[in-house]
Amino acid sequence: MADFIQQIVVGLGSGAIYASLALALVLIYRFTGIVNFAQGELAMFSAYIAWTFLDAGVPFWIALPITLAISFVGGMLIERIVIRPVEGAPELTIVIVTVGLFIFVNAAAGWIWSFLIKDFPNPFPDGALRAGGVSVGYSTLGVLAVVGVVMGLLYLLFRHTKIGLGMRAVATNPESARLVGIRVGWVLALGWGLAATVGAVSGIMVAPLLFLEPNMMGGVLIYAFAAATLGGMDSPVGAVVGGLIVGVAETLAGAYVDVIGSDLKVGVPLAIILVVLLLRPQGLFGKAAVERA
Amino acid sequence: MKDTAGEFLVVEDLHAGYGDATVLHGVNLTVARGEVCAILGPNGAGKTTLLRALSGMVKGRGAIRLDGADLLGRSPDAVARLGVAHVPEGRGTFMPLTVEENLRLGAFTRRDRAAIEEDLERVYGYFPVLKQRLKQPAGSLSGGEQQMVALGRALMLRPRVLLLDEPSLGLAPLVTRELFGIVQAINEQERTTVVVVEQNAHLALGIAQCAHVLETGRIVLSGTADEIQADEQVAQSYLGYRV
Repeated sequence: MADFIQQIVVGLGSGAIYASLALALVLIYRFTGIVNFAQGELAMFSAYIAWTFLDAGVPFWIALPITLAISFVGGMLIERIVIRPVEGAPELTIVIVTVGLFIFVNAAAGWIWSFLIKDFPNPFPDGALRAGGVSVGYSTLGVLAVVGVVMGLLYLLFRHTKIGLGMRAVATNPESARLVGIRVGWVLALGWGLAATVGAVSGIMVAPLLFLEPNMMGGVLIYAFAAATLGGMDSPVGAVVGGLIVGVAETLAGAYVDVIGSDLKVGVPLAIILVVLLLRPQGLFGKAAVERA
Repeated sequence: MKDTAGEFLVVEDLHAGYGDATVLHGVNLTVARGEVCAILGPNGAGKTTLLRALSGMVKGRGAIRLDGADLLGRSPDAVARLGVAHVPEGRGTFMPLTVEENLRLGAFTRRDRAAIEEDLERVYGYFPVLKQRLKQPAGSLSGGEQQMVALGRALMLRPRVLLLDEPSLGLAPLVTRELFGIVQAINEQERTTVVVVEQNAHLALGIAQCAHVLETGRIVLSGTADEIQADEQVAQSYLGYRV
């Protein structure tokens, strides 16, 4: 039993990571209706920016806010420069642009920082809380706490600020949002900036667990897609719950289903994506459009 | 035509359309401050396009001026900030957002918090039914209630001009009459200038002081609401009876 709970704890830890990237995916999807395949790469790039500061001797808790600010501005610039010109183009066009962005950012990181792996310091202390044969690493607790804080901040932003209300209006009905005087273009850029910031948090949490290298986020992105699909592409709460479920499912399947083991674990998110799309395409928390005309 | 001192909203030689398809071929009209002006005409005449050009949703050539300020060429959000509230065809409801959020969005460009709260109360005064539905998603409301939300949202801008596109569309006659009564009350109490596009010419002329008849992208007749109502040709075409 202790072993089972231990596996769940491990699963929640990786689930929180998937949740953080899934949150970023969901943010962009809600505002623009596009799936940003480059989200993981942007997160990786942000992790490199943080690493550069750390490597120069800047303390972690100073490097973090600077990196987040740079990521925010970078996300907005990408929307203005790369996405804006194809705004209104068919979805497939925009998705392909994000795939191009994926390749570009990946190559740029390799060009700037080389493809050699780098050690990324863990901001959380080593060691673990132990209770009844189960140990919970401080870094697992830290990651869970960070995701909780990000979630809470996003909730406050969307539910309790005017700009958040404006952002939800744009996500719902951009044309009508324009008519009440909202600068929709800037809100879309703001959405990209926010997503890049949330993604940066994700990248910075992933980097100490894996090693920092340009392909670091590839696997995480697949899990994040599974999480977002499971929770509902348009639901931030769904992204987090979906991420945790995917993390736990993956860990349990790896530990208890012999055929899967650690080699086939990556098949779990794909199976989840498939099953969700078949049974409940809008996801657990997504809204199937139900409204009166 | 009205005296030139009363020219508040002026449209001159307006050509507008979608891509290569020009819908408006040189529209000229004026609306005096504080008036309700009805835009009548058959389907496809360009009434909706005219409103969309006024609020910047479609581009055009010519001139549109509000109290001397140029509107043409501005984006819809910039036009809204100049005090033009457009209630679009289909009502523009933010479906998943609550009624209250829909209304507050109308005041998005305003900074005067206290006045915004007062205006909310004023909107509830016009539409008491909305006050009972504040926390409901606007998408769950009936068509008439959604039209009330749309009107309320427009009022929250404290508009200088209210553009209404077919407010009667899809509504029961009784509900429509009630809505037009409220539009009239708004015009009288707030002195808001109203431009209303309407298929139901009777209803529109009932609350309007002036009217313009649009046919295939041109104004074919302008005058006071009474003159238009008395015009035999209009009567035959749009009112469904002979005078």
